[in-house]
Formats: sequence, C-alpha cells, structure tokens
Amino acid sequence: MPAAGSILYYTLGVAGKTHPTHFEVLSFWKVARVNNPQTSFLVRHEFLLRRLHSLSGLIPVGAYMVIHLMVNASVLESAGVFQDKVYLIHSLGKLLPVVEWTFIFIPILFHGLFGLVIIKGGLPNTSQYPYQANLRYSLQRASGVVAFFFIMWHVFHMHGWIHASWWIDGVAAAWGGAQFKPYNAASTAGMALQSGLVIVGYSIGVLACVFHLANGIWTMGITWGVWTSAAAQQRASRVCTVFGVALAVVGLSAIYGMWQVGHGEGLEKARQVEDAMYASKRASGVLEDQPHKRSHPPASHTENKH
Amino acid sequence: MTTSTHDGNPEAINVRVLRQDGPGQASYWQRHRIAYEHDMNVISVLQKIATQSRDADGQPVAPVAWDCNCLEEVCGACTMVVNGKTQQACTALVDRLLAENPAEIELRPMSKFPVLRDLMVDRARMFQALKRVKAWIPVDGYSDMGPGPRQSQSRQQLAYPLSECMTCGCCVEACPQYTKIELTRRNGETDEQFATREEEAYNRGFVGAAAISQAMLFNENPTGQMNADERVDALTAEGGIQVCGNAQNCVVVCPKEIPLTKSIARAGRAATVRSIKRWLDT
Amino acid sequence: MANERVLVVGGGLAGLAAAMRLAELGIQVDLMSLTPVKRSHSVCAQGGINSVNDQTRPLGDSEWLHFDDTVYGGDFLQHQPPVKEMAYWAPRIIDLMDRLGVTFNRTPEGFRDQRRFGGTLYKRTAFAGATTGQQLLYALDEQVRRWEVEGRVKKYEFWDFLGPVLDDNGVCRGAVGQDLVSMEIRSFQADAVVVATGGAGLIYGRSTMSMVCTGSAASRCFQAGVRYGNGEFMQVHPTAIPGADKLRLMSESARGEGGRVWVPRKPQDPRDPRDIPEGERYYFLEERYPTYGNLVPRDIATREIFNVCVYEGLSVDADRQCVYLDLTHIPADELDRKLGGILSIYEKFQGVNPRTVPMKIFPAIHYSMGGLWADYERTADGGLVAGSPRNQQTNVPGLYAIGECDYQYHGANRLGANSLLSCIFSGLIVAPGIETWIKSLPRSAADQPASLFDTERTRQQQRHDELLNRSGGGENPYLIHQQLGQTMTNAATVVRHNKDLEAAYGTIADLEARAQTCSLSDTGNWTNQNVVFTKALLDMFPLAKTILQGALARDECRGAHFKPDFVLGGIEAEDPAEQRREAEAWCDRFEAKNTKWLKSTVATLKSDGEPELTYEEVDTSLIPPRPRLYGLVGAEMIEEVWQQRVAQKEQSPGNGQPDSTVAAS
Repeated sequence: MPAAGSILYYTLGVAGKTHPTHFEVLSFWKVARVNNPQTSFLVRHEFLLRRLHSLSGLIPVGAYMVIHLMVNASVLESAGVFQDKVYLIHSLGKLLPVVEWTFIFIPILFHGLFGLVIIKGGLPNTSQYPYQANLRYSLQRASGVVAFFFIMWHVFHMHGWIHASWWIDGVAAAWGGAQFKPYNAASTAGMALQSGLVIVGYSIGVLACVFHLANGIWTMGITWGVWTSAAAQQRASRVCTVFGVALAVVGLSAIYGMWQVGHGEGLEKARQVEDAMYASKRASGVLEDQPHKRSHPPASHTENKH
Repeated sequence: MTTSTHDGNPEAINVRVLRQDGPGQASYWQRHRIAYEHDMNVISVLQKIATQSRDADGQPVAPVAWDCNCLEEVCGACTMVVNGKTQQACTALVDRLLAENPAEIELRPMSKFPVLRDLMVDRARMFQALKRVKAWIPVDGYSDMGPGPRQSQSRQQLAYPLSECMTCGCCVEACPQYTKIELTRRNGETDEQFATREEEAYNRGFVGAAAISQAMLFNENPTGQMNADERVDALTAEGGIQVCGNAQNCVVVCPKEIPLTKSIARAGRAATVRSIKRWLDT
Repeated sequence: MANERVLVVGGGLAGLAAAMRLAELGIQVDLMSLTPVKRSHSVCAQGGINSVNDQTRPLGDSEWLHFDDTVYGGDFLQHQPPVKEMAYWAPRIIDLMDRLGVTFNRTPEGFRDQRRFGGTLYKRTAFAGATTGQQLLYALDEQVRRWEVEGRVKKYEFWDFLGPVLDDNGVCRGAVGQDLVSMEIRSFQADAVVVATGGAGLIYGRSTMSMVCTGSAASRCFQAGVRYGNGEFMQVHPTAIPGADKLRLMSESARGEGGRVWVPRKPQDPRDPRDIPEGERYYFLEERYPTYGNLVPRDIATREIFNVCVYEGLSVDADRQCVYLDLTHIPADELDRKLGGILSIYEKFQGVNPRTVPMKIFPAIHYSMGGLWADYERTADGGLVAGSPRNQQTNVPGLYAIGECDYQYHGANRLGANSLLSCIFSGLIVAPGIETWIKSLPRSAADQPASLFDTERTRQQQRHDELLNRSGGGENPYLIHQQLGQTMTNAATVVRHNKDLEAAYGTIADLEARAQTCSLSDTGNWTNQNVVFTKALLDMFPLAKTILQGALARDECRGAHFKPDFVLGGIEAEDPAEQRREAEAWCDRFEAKNTKWLKSTVATLKSDGEPELTYEEVDTSLIPPRPRLYGLVGAEMIEEVWQQRVAQKEQSPGNGQPDSTVAAS
C-alpha cells in the first residue's frame, strides 16, 4: 500500500529517523523506464502532466474546496440557508453527476493519484536540513496523502462513492457510508458528524486540505513563475498564510455547524425546516419526488399533515 | 574523552569518517584523533589524517581520499557532508564545528553522487546537466569581432551572482527531489558503452538547481537570449524544472548565496510563457 | 591528415583557450587535467585583466604603454616581441571574453568598467566583481563544453600527466597519463602536446596556489629534457591571509579600489585598529611612494611589508607577521559591488568583517614568473609571426608550453592583472602555430610505432609499481613536503642571502635523498592519492633545486629576486655636484649589472639530477632597459643622468632603437 508506506515514510522523515545516505529511492520514472524502454507516456509528457497537476490543485480542486467549505459553513447561519444552497446545486438535475465527475471527482483523482507518483520521486530530508521551506515541502506531501485518503473516505461517508442503489443500500450503508441526503442536507450531514472520532478525523482532514491548498498556491506561484524573487516569495507566503488561516476557520466552523445541527433540538429544527422546504418545492412543482435524496425514514409525519 | 588545555581549547579532536574503499563496496566508519591547532578547517584536519595515517586506535590505515583544490571556496571541489550538512570542507572551520558538537566532527561523502572512494565522489552528472541546458554563449567564432553587447549595470548585477556558481553540488545534495543515480558496469561492457549508458541515465535524472540557474544566466545574456527557447525546452524535457518540489534547501546551503530559487521561479515563468506560446503560435 | 590530435595538459585559462581555439580550427583535442577543468587554479585570480581601453586611450594610454609597463614592471627580463604582441592583442582578447558572456562590471552607460592595478597609472583593468579569473575560466570552460558536445574535445579529468613521449629524434609524439581514480596508466598519441599546467607554488609548502599547483607536470617535462627558464623568479604577493592549510589571496584590487596599507606607529599597539587615530598610523607605502602609493608593483609592496614587519618590528601582531589592509573608509555597498567575492572570503575564513575592521595580511608566494622555456618567431617590427609553429614551442619539437608554466611574459616580476591576459593570449596564439606544425609533420603520431608509446608507458608503470611495492617504515612524504616548503620559504622568498641559499640547497639535497625512501601508507591501486602525492613530491626537487641554484647564482636585485647584498642603493649626498657624481656612478653600476645579468636563466637537468644553468640574451630591442626607480632616494637625479645617457646613445650612429617611452616616476 503506497498510502500507509508514504505516511509512515513522511512521519519518519519529519521525525528524523531516515538517513538518505543509506538507501536509494528509485523514482517512479525509472521504474517506468525499466518497464518501457521507449520512454513511457508519463515520461514524455512529464512537464505537461506536472503542470496540469499543479493547475488542477487550484482549478478546479482548490476552488471547489473553497466553495464547498463556504457553502457548508453557511449551516452556521441556519439549516435552511444551507439547504437552499444544496437545492441550488441540485437544480442541475441530471447534469449534476456529469459536472461532479468532470470538475470534481476526476480532477481530485488525478491530482491525488499523480501526487502519490510525485511523492515517490522525492526523498525528504527534514532531519538533516530543518529549514522552513523544507519542512513545508515534507508537510505538503504528508498533507496531500492525508487529504487524499480523507477525501476518499469523506466521499464514501457522505455519498457512498456511486449512486447505484444496490451499492448504496447493500454495501455502503452497511459500512457507514452514504449518510448524506441532499434534501435533508444539514440534518443528515450533522448526524454523520456526531462521533468524536469522526469529528477528529474531519478536522484533521480539513486542516490537511487547507494547508495543502494554501501552501500549494504558494509553490504554484513559484512553479508558474508568478512570484520570483525571494522578497516576492516572502510576501506571497504571508498572503497564503492569511488565506490558509481564514479557510481553516471556515472549514472548522462548517464542522462545528454541522455537529450542532446534528443532534438534539437543532436536529429537530433542521428537519422541520428541510421537510417544509421540500414540501413547498414539491407543491410548487419544481421538484420531483426523489426519496433517495431524503433521509430514511422521511419525516413522514410532516408530510401527512398536508 | 575530550580533554581541554588551560585556554579552553581541546588538545585533540575526534573525527569520524564514513569511508568506502571503492564504488559499490560497503561503507564503514573510522575514527581518527588529531592534535588541535588554532584556525583549522576540515581540509587541515584531513591533511593531518593523511600525514599520520593511523586511526584513533593507532592502527595504520590508508589516508582518507578526498577532493579539494583552491581552499578558497571558489573551485567547488571539496564539497562533503560535515556534521550532517553539505558544505565546502575548506570553509568548514573546526572551531565552529566544535562549538556545534565538541565530541566529534563527522565527515561523510555527498550522498547524491557515486562514491569513488571515501569522501571523493563523481559529480559528472552535474557537468552533464550543463550540457543538457546548453550553458554557453553560442558565438560564431573566436576571431576579432568587436566587443560584446553593451549591458546595463542592473543586468550585470543580476547575472554576476549566477555566474559565481562553481558546480560544487551543495544545492543538489540537499535537494529532496535530486535522487542518486549510480550505475554498475555490466559484464563485458566497454568504457565507452558504460559512459554512454551513464550519460543517458544522467540526462533523464533531475537537472538540479545549479543547471537551472545557469540556463537562466545565459538566457539573460543579450547573445545567449537568442537561444533562450532551446534552453527552456531542455528545462521542460524529462528531468527538467518540473521535478523541483520547492523545498528550497538549495538556496539555503549554496555557499555562494546564489539566488537559486529566484532562478527556478524565473525558469518556471519562462516555461509557462514558452508553453503557452508554443500552443498558440506553432 | 585526417586524424590529427593534440593533447592539451591542464584545463586552466591557457589550456582551455588553446583547446577551444584548436577545436575551432578543426583539430581533435584530448584535454587532460588533474581536476575537472572548471575547478582549475585560474578560478583563484580575483582582480582583473589588463588592456588599453576606451577609457584610458583619451588619457594618452596605448598598447605600447601597456607593453612598456609590462617590461618595466618585469625589470626588462622578458623577450619583448611576445610581450608586445600580447599588449596589442589585449583589447581584442577582452572583447572576445566579453562576447563569451563574462559578466564584466559595467559603467552606467553599459560599457565595461575598469579599475586601476599595480605598476600602472591607468585604469586598465577590466573586472568581473572580485572573481575575474573564475568568470573568465567559466566562459572558456563553457566553450570547451560546447566543443565536447560537438565531439571535437575529449576530456580526461582526474588524470595526471606523467611525462611526454619523445621519438628517437627527440620530437614529442604524445604523453603518458594516469587515471587518478582507477590508477590506469596509458599513453596518448598526439601530434603536439601543450603543457598548460600552471605554477609550482606547492614547492613552498603553503602559498596562494591551489593544491594541484605542484609543478609536477612542468618538472616531468624538465626531466624529459625541456629547458626551464628563470626559475628563481617567484612572485610573492604582498597581500595574503595567513592560514594553516593555505595562504589565501587578498586581491590587489583591494588596493586598486582604495585600500590602504598601514601599521600602528607604536609597535604592536594593543588598541583596536579603529581606535588608532590617523596621526598614529604609518601608511608606509603612501609615504615612501607618493606617486604610486598603495599601488606600487608587487615586488616593492611585498618587500616594504616584509621590511616593516621583520626589520622595523612594526608587525601588528607580536606572534605573527602582518600589517593592516584597510578598506573601512569605503562605503560598504560600494565594497560589496566591487569586491564582494574577496571580502566574503576573508569573512568566511577569518570570521571578521573587513568592511568594518581592517584586514590583517602578509606576503605569500603567488606566481611562477619562470617556467618551461618557450620559443617565438619574431617579425621585423618586433611582433610575433602569426601561425608560426615556433611560438610557445619548447626546445622539444612538438611540445608546447603556455600560461603560467611558460617563462615568457612576466620577466622578473609580473604586473597584477597581466597573468589572466598572458594565459589566454598564449592559449589562443599557440593553436594556429600548432596547426602549422602538424601540417609540416611527415607522419602523424598515429603512424608511430606502438613500441615507442609502450616503452614510456612501461617505464611509468614500473615507477608506480615500485612505489607501491616498497616496504613500510620509510619516510613520510607529507612530512618531507612540509620541510621542503619551510626550507624554500625561509631561503628563497622575499629576501635572499647567498649563505641561506647554499644551506637550503644542502638541506634540499638531503630531503631529496630521504624522499627517495618514502614509503606509502596506501599501497592499494584504487584512487590512491598517497602515491600520486609522493610522485609529485619527488618531482618537486628538480624545480626546487633550479629555483635555489638560479637564485644563488644571480648576484643582483631584479624584480622579485632581491638580494640585500647586491642592492644598488640610493643617493646619499646633499650637495648637488656630489649627487650628480653619485648618480653617474649609480648609472655605471646599473649598466654593468645589466651587462652581466640582463639574461634569462635557462636550466637543463643533467643526468645526475642536478640542474645546469646557462644564460640567454634577452631581446630588449624595442624598449631599452632603464632603471626601475620606484621610490628610490635621489631618483630624480638618477633619472636625469640616465636620460642624458640615452640621448647621447641615440645621437651616436648605428643605434636605431625605437623611442622608449619613459613612464612617469
């Protein structure tokens, strides 16, 4: 498993236990070459792929994450506000999966998987050279690995990965996945975020994502040649830090907000609002009945009153 | 273990050297003990080790092999890993090293290059990288064709620090993205065949900060600029600038304080512009 | 000839210039160097490179004046045609280096900036920060790399030159070299061999020279029958930073940019130098040489610093000899711009900031003016015949010497910033000459019998094996080297006395005998630096003896060679008539001295390993010798008398020498 290996590896690197002198890391490229002496696709297009990787981290993945965290944080205002935004997203209807795959899932998979390839080509040495940028180099990779597996889990946990009912009902639900129901957005998300372990996992995951994005923007500026001098890089670093801290606040607020609407009185209220909104949308005819997008069992008593 | 004289300086210094008898052989640590003197550097330590040719236990040993030349930090020969940090042995002053760690001085060869023997490594890959990025001015010839182009003071001040690069290898030694390439000779392979295979392998590895910076130096020169695209193309080929992971150790460890990360970012910008242009214009 | 090949030994400025130019001429070059060529000793040159230029021309400067300064500074001991040719090439060489991308400092308008160096009154020195040698070397290194990619140059780096291969007619047909990693010894067939292996500073133990500057390659040529010229002329640089492993150069440009040399008037004044008021500082160069001030030629600066410390007891420190070199009156940003490189060296090695605290410096062996004897072919007007195969050729046909390891350009004393010039110049001009030489060869080296190369290869292999197979318990080569260095430094550096030189010669003969019994601490056959060093050490003795013998024989003062017992002295009389008489006598002595000693020392090595000296007339036909009067008491009167004698000679018939230009004094 590259995942466990990489995390362990980075932990060791940061903790100062690796001695690069004593082993040689074969980069992925060399492995690829051995398999295909005619230079593989990856090798021939190394530059393009690396730049696409860099770009995909910002657009769409990073941009999506910023919107995602801000939308989720809107639950702090009220469950209704958040639900409104979810309806807006779902108004894409049948296009939604296409949009999701094109602009979210595929870019994330590309960015994450190619990121693992990049990680394999490096040899962190923070114990020998504990300089700030070098620590960030290692953290960028460690946070990338954490973020990638967090996102995989998060998508499973909330959405169950794929929307086939045999999978959702038969497998995902049984493994604790697919807990989010878009027409009961806040309440289902909130309920999914009640266990301490899950909250800690989400907090670490979100912070890893935020650090990865903020630091990624900084390195991207160097990679693409936006800020070149040491002074400019210093200034950019400050801007990225402010951005990262702000985004971390937004992300953690979202988790807190969801937790709050996921239990007790908050949950009750949220459900009422969600069901009322659903009912009104149904009544006005803008929404077809999509029970799989609602929590099970649906809060049927509200519906029955009408 | 360390005894001091009345003025607080030790009588002797313990030195631990990571030795290796030849390429592909196992490395081993060896301890040496040499008399302390004022104003010593690691070069004079190694000179003393060679002169006494005995390890700390008094056993006769072959002198430690190492590379050095100018002893003024302008030739780039004597790079090694001293107390865990890559640096020039000539500017590694013993008093300063002992202040860091009074117990001993630890010397290791650079880890990113094939060890020839002991502290001596083969940095041919760095010179190969200069070929890859065409680090020269392609003049028409050497006959009298008048002066070079006039250049502003600011341009000279930008170029001069880059031109001080002595290919010492500190930048790539400290670079987490620069991994060692060491080939072993195959059975029946001639010198030429091995050299060719080695060159090919070097050409695929990461070029490293030094060569990237040199490419920028020549792209900044009014004549060199004429071939700027070729250099940028070389920098975007396999093992090019894209491999950089922005750990920025290079700029910290560079003994000449060359703004390597600036060169890297400038190369990145040139590559961005070049890629877009190539996409739109050709 | 299809497969013409030239072996260039040494990859410093001269070797690279030659390789680059040969490659351009379509000749295949093998380039052999002890170290990757980019790490050659030329990188240590700091200050700059001289030529007349557009800034100095309007002030009356010319190529001729550069030529004049060079021979005057060299005390007329160099043949003048090559020097003249060099001075006339200088502007073009700097233009070429400029085109090759050297980052010369610029004026606000974008022209090359110039600074002033010792021994001249003009700002004739182009510079790239304080690492001009490094920058020039890199430019040539880059060009050679370009030719390497083209397949015209093949480098043999980490190779040691063991000796030339001469055929039965004494013509050089190649060389034998040793791979310093694998220890393989092999021969190289070559239609010409160019030796560009620099100076021999390591004979003095510690000097400003790099660790490869053992002189072993030159010595091996000397042992193979090449003559060695002017060995006793070793330049001592006035300003070096004393160190345990090396004496590090502090460039003359530090004084060129306004650095002032002084000592406290009170011996070993314990105060911080910054607290010593102006009135209590002794700016001895400025006081004694008002015209040139701190920029007197190197030999004079050296001697004055030596005198102040050794004879006048004014050394700054009590336990070691040194004087202050002070830059603290110059703004720090200006220093960083113009001298950043050397100042950071001082700071790194001494841990003291020279921008705020005066540096402590002392003279150190710096440059071999002497070297392998080299020929030239003269044109009628006193230049060199372009493309003559005799240019830079040693007495062994097909074996050429260029750069610091030839004896041609600097006479008894080299002017600052002339070495980079002479190295590049000799490298560039040797190439067309070699092209002519190769064309004149009836048979190429490749057609020579294999046995010719085998014999020499075997001989070298045997020498190598014999050293490795020695039993232990013999002399330690490193300790012998230390003693050699001390002996040479004590006897033959700044001040030379015959009795010291004689004693030193005896010591060195003993050391040589002991060195023959050196045993190795490394008897392996892989990257064995011990055996390589021992061989180099053994080869230092012929040159050390040549230096001592030449110095012993030369009973005069000339340039860097200074014997107090043979000083011409100044004028002591107060009375004008008496002064005049003393000046006449002085000029008589001067002429007698020139009649006897204005000759190159040319050494050959006898079969018993002892050098034999002969003397060669110097071609001074372009600029007649005149007294070097920097700072001498009564210089004006001597000058006057001398001018009258010159005028008389010019009037006398049959004396058609061209006008000499008299430098301001």
